[in-house]
Amino acid sequence: MSTHTYKKFEEADSGILPDKMTIYQDCLNAFNESPVNAKRCRLLISRLLQLLAQGQTFPRTEATALFFAISKLFQHPNDSLRQAVYLAIKELSAVSDDVLMATSSIMKDVQNGSDMIKPNAIRSLTRVLDESTAFSAERLFKSAVVSKHPSISSAALVSSYHLLPVAESTVKRYANETQEAVSDLKTYPYQSGTSEHYPNSTYIAQYHALGLLYLLRKHDKVALMKLVQQFSAGNLLKNQLAQVQLVKLVGSLLQKDPQLVTQFTPLLLSWLSNKYESVQLEDAKLITSLPDRFVSPEIFASAVQTLQGLLTVPRVTTRFAAVRVLNRISMVAPEKIVVCNPELESLINDSNRNVSTYAITSLLKTGTSNNIASLIKTITNFIHEISDDFKIIIIDAVRTMALKFPEEWKSILNFLINVLKQGEGGFEFKNSIVEALFDLVQFVPQSRELAFENLCDFIEDCEYNEILVRILHILGKEGPSMKIPSLYVRHIYNRVVLENSIVRSAAVVALSKFALVKNDPTLVESIEILLRRISNDADDEVRDRATISLEFIESIKSKEGASSSAAEDLLQSKYSYDLVSLESKLSQYMSAKQESFKAPFDSSSVHRYTEDERKAIDLKRKQEQLFSALPSAGKSKRAASSSQDAEKRNGSYAGPASNEVDQDLQSTKFVEELESIEELKSLGPIINTSKEVPLTETEAEFVVSGVKHLFKNHVVLQFHITNTLTDVALDNVSVGCTMEQEDSTALQETSTIPVDRIMPSETFACYVVYEKSEEVVTEGFLNTLYFTTRELDATTHEPFAGDEGFQDEYEIDSLFLTAGDYIKGSFVGNFSACFDELPHSEVAVYNIKENISLQEVVDKLVVNTSCLTLDNTQFAPTDSNSHTLKLFGKSVLNGARVALVVRMIKSSKGIALKGEIRSDDANLCNDVVDGLI
Amino acid sequence: MGNFFSSMFDRLWGVNREMRILILGLDGAGKTTILYRLQIGEVVTTKPTIGFNVETLVYKNLKLNVWDLGGQTSIRPYWRCYYSNTAAVIFVVDSTDRDRMPTAAHELHLMLREDELQDAALLVFANKQDQPAALSASEVSRELNLVELKDRSWSIVASSATNGDGISEGLDWLIDVVREEQM
Ligand SMILES: Nc1nc2c(ncn2[C@@H]2O[C@H](COP(=O)(O)OP(=O)(O)OP(=O)(O)O)[C@@H](O)[C@H]2O)c(=O)[nH]1
Ligand SMILES: [Mg+2]
Repeated sequence: MSTHTYKKFEEADSGILPDKMTIYQDCLNAFNESPVNAKRCRLLISRLLQLLAQGQTFPRTEATALFFAISKLFQHPNDSLRQAVYLAIKELSAVSDDVLMATSSIMKDVQNGSDMIKPNAIRSLTRVLDESTAFSAERLFKSAVVSKHPSISSAALVSSYHLLPVAESTVKRYANETQEAVSDLKTYPYQSGTSEHYPNSTYIAQYHALGLLYLLRKHDKVALMKLVQQFSAGNLLKNQLAQVQLVKLVGSLLQKDPQLVTQFTPLLLSWLSNKYESVQLEDAKLITSLPDRFVSPEIFASAVQTLQGLLTVPRVTTRFAAVRVLNRISMVAPEKIVVCNPELESLINDSNRNVSTYAITSLLKTGTSNNIASLIKTITNFIHEISDDFKIIIIDAVRTMALKFPEEWKSILNFLINVLKQGEGGFEFKNSIVEALFDLVQFVPQSRELAFENLCDFIEDCEYNEILVRILHILGKEGPSMKIPSLYVRHIYNRVVLENSIVRSAAVVALSKFALVKNDPTLVESIEILLRRISNDADDEVRDRATISLEFIESIKSKEGASSSAAEDLLQSKYSYDLVSLESKLSQYMSAKQESFKAPFDSSSVHRYTEDERKAIDLKRKQEQLFSALPSAGKSKRAASSSQDAEKRNGSYAGPASNEVDQDLQSTKFVEELESIEELKSLGPIINTSKEVPLTETEAEFVVSGVKHLFKNHVVLQFHITNTLTDVALDNVSVGCTMEQEDSTALQETSTIPVDRIMPSETFACYVVYEKSEEVVTEGFLNTLYFTTRELDATTHEPFAGDEGFQDEYEIDSLFLTAGDYIKGSFVGNFSACFDELPHSEVAVYNIKENISLQEVVDKLVVNTSCLTLDNTQFAPTDSNSHTLKLFGKSVLNGARVALVVRMIKSSKGIALKGEIRSDDANLCNDVVDGLI
Repeated sequence: MGNFFSSMFDRLWGVNREMRILILGLDGAGKTTILYRLQIGEVVTTKPTIGFNVETLVYKNLKLNVWDLGGQTSIRPYWRCYYSNTAAVIFVVDSTDRDRMPTAAHELHLMLREDELQDAALLVFANKQDQPAALSASEVSRELNLVELKDRSWSIVASSATNGDGISEGLDWLIDVVREEQM
């Protein structure tokens, strides 16, 4: 946050709020008065609530005093005062445990109070109840849920959501009443009478009840199926949101078991023409996010048709939602929404700019190399009319397009340069353009020359320091390896002459890198001259940088082996640190005891990336971003990969695909976990860590997943075990592994590390360690979980004393150590050239008989080889039966490169697949072929 | 005539004068039962009181503001939050609960030591007299060490909340004492 915005926040608050201590005193006085002045007390409570709503807090003793004073207002029977009291109790319940003292009084109101205060009373009740007192409120909740009054019923249902984590068993006991509340159509008691204070009932309680039922049964597939069957029949659900909820419910069922699609097809089709737009939308969203092979093209087309219809309705929120769904589809399967192009085009001029922005971005995605030029023209005219936020969205879309159509780089580059140079637009916007340009030069090398030339132009007149510094950095990084490096030197030096010290410092660093240009001694010389001149700069930092750079250049020229290469490294480093692990290592170092400072920080244990690896990670992250932009579609497509594990843990059903950052975080976490284990310390540094693979169903009693860690001479299998039972602890948990190749001597089991106890809903890891030779070893492990179950005493949550437990075992899926575990995805600018130059080659042909989609094969290959997909081949086209996948990676053992070209054709007989693998290392070639599918 | 007297009382007592009374005692003693017998004249089914019940009732032309606080161990520490401005305390004892007489005595004397209650009158109900095993009022009085009380108007009355015996007798005494003291 800049100082500017920070100030603004402060100002917003000052002056308007009543003084905290005055209110506090007034409250205490008025509330303790007898008799109570209801009107004044109500006013004071509203002031108090205003304070609390602004985030003001009271120290514990004062909060307690306030609560007891407020509790005394229960003596006054005035309904509107009582409502205010309830609001205050709800707020104070967060700061004070003493609210339990209001329990009996609240319960009395829930039972005998007027209809006016009952809903308030119910909502407060959930805040004061705990596990031990909840059961005494069961009857109250039960009768409130079945109340004919919609507000009372809704209050009880919604409050039950909050009660669930506190006292699930209590809520479960009125599941039948909740079910009743779904079908019961409640209306306000005075509806037909004279009072106009009551609105018409929307039957919202149906929605609340259905939501609660879902929470109660979400783990029970059969019960959920029954719910759908029961409530989709006839015209039972009147409430719009309840109907949407039902669609979502079907969605969550399909997420877990896409096979059910056939069964739900009639329902899905009927919702597409539901009378509510929101239901149509939710349904279309669901259908279009299911995995391809489960949805017939006809249904998909109907869904798109529905969305198409919604693009022209009067309600702007609906248009927005529809175009947003279409935008998501456009990212993976643009050909499927081409039919909507006429509507999308007319939406470009929609009065709502959110809608028009999405329309444009979708059009950019459905664009083909044929019409890109004309689209670019449209947005060039359009972009000046919208706010920066939308401009950024559009720039983002253009950026993905640049990655998708590398051959169109010229018109894209021109567009970006144009918008960059035109005056308007704030920092964020300009920065996003620069970001897009950086992507372009990074992944489309042909564009570099022209892009740099224009960036050089741009920095001659750029008002943002941050952007200037970034551009100078990239010029310094890439400039020396361009055809005519001296071109850039002039522009950079101009900055030294003309700009402030921040920019000057950056320019010095950029300049110094040009001294590394080989075979151009005059250039090196002029750099030295320039730097020497800068050494007289008025600014300390600028001078220092110039001086130290000169020093480096000097020592490179002296060509003294080690120090020369170290200096070269400091000028232009060839690798960068893994920031996540660097940060955690550093903070460890800082927080350790004083004596650790005696030794300097050891950076060798921090993972480092070479330039290519860094690019690979970047590209991968960008590809993943495409997925995460469309939550459910991405997820189902990535079913085989790591994204699932994260979700399994938190059990949500609409989380986006986990991205590479999480992956990084996760492996850093693993490293720390392993390092903290005494037995594993002697194994040395981890060379590679695989993704986490599920080894059981997610609904199993014990959910297990496995990770493989490679060390120089060892393999460690790590098993995460989650105990999903509620009343049983697992003791002495271990995993026994048997190798598939029983007589193999390449691996020797050396130790296993068990877990002492796993309580319900806890996750722990146990390990199996193998010694291995230094080369690539592949193996399959058949695994069994061994444990002793101990029943838990419901009151103490401890195992019963004296209960010996029951020894048991549980078979889990096999874990495979494959060639892919020895490979890390990597980036190469020119894939075909690299492929051709690799010396060793193998070819493999497979026939896959299973009914799976091309995309699933692609995903599987990516996981099995651990390679990075290049040249935009990560998505199999949905409108064609063939695809060519390009993969690239490097061996983690010796850095040997591996490149794969896999061609696949889908026919009625299955998928035919031909993979050609090239590598620096013949053995690796063999191993990859063997482990391809 | 009646109107004349009640308006005379009003003048004497101040129009909106209310009297604040606390009902205290161990859990299960019968406090809540007594409160509602006073208010609606019936025996209601009760649940252990988590917190308090407060009712306003008119007794003999007097507006009483009666607070019935829960007696469970976890709630007793909170009693003191409601002591201020209290005219009288009704302490209810389950006369059949011999084992807990010392506990009741302890809580009673602890409460009476509080500054805020120095001027409050004390009425003890030796409750549940309808039970055969009940101790008599004088036995309860001994158990509670009531004779030790100095500088305080107090009385003990044998009562049964379920059949109503003794309740109004006790309350009559209390009202008289308080009225006298305040006049
Ligand atoms: N036989 C008999 N039972 C009584 C009498 N008074 C109360 N009870 C019963 O004793 C039980 C407890 O009565 P409550 O009025 O709830 O007791 P309490 O003092 O309010 O208890 P807490 O709220 O937990 O402090 C109930 O089952 C009453 O019916 C009485 O005079 N005779
Ligand atoms: Mg009670």
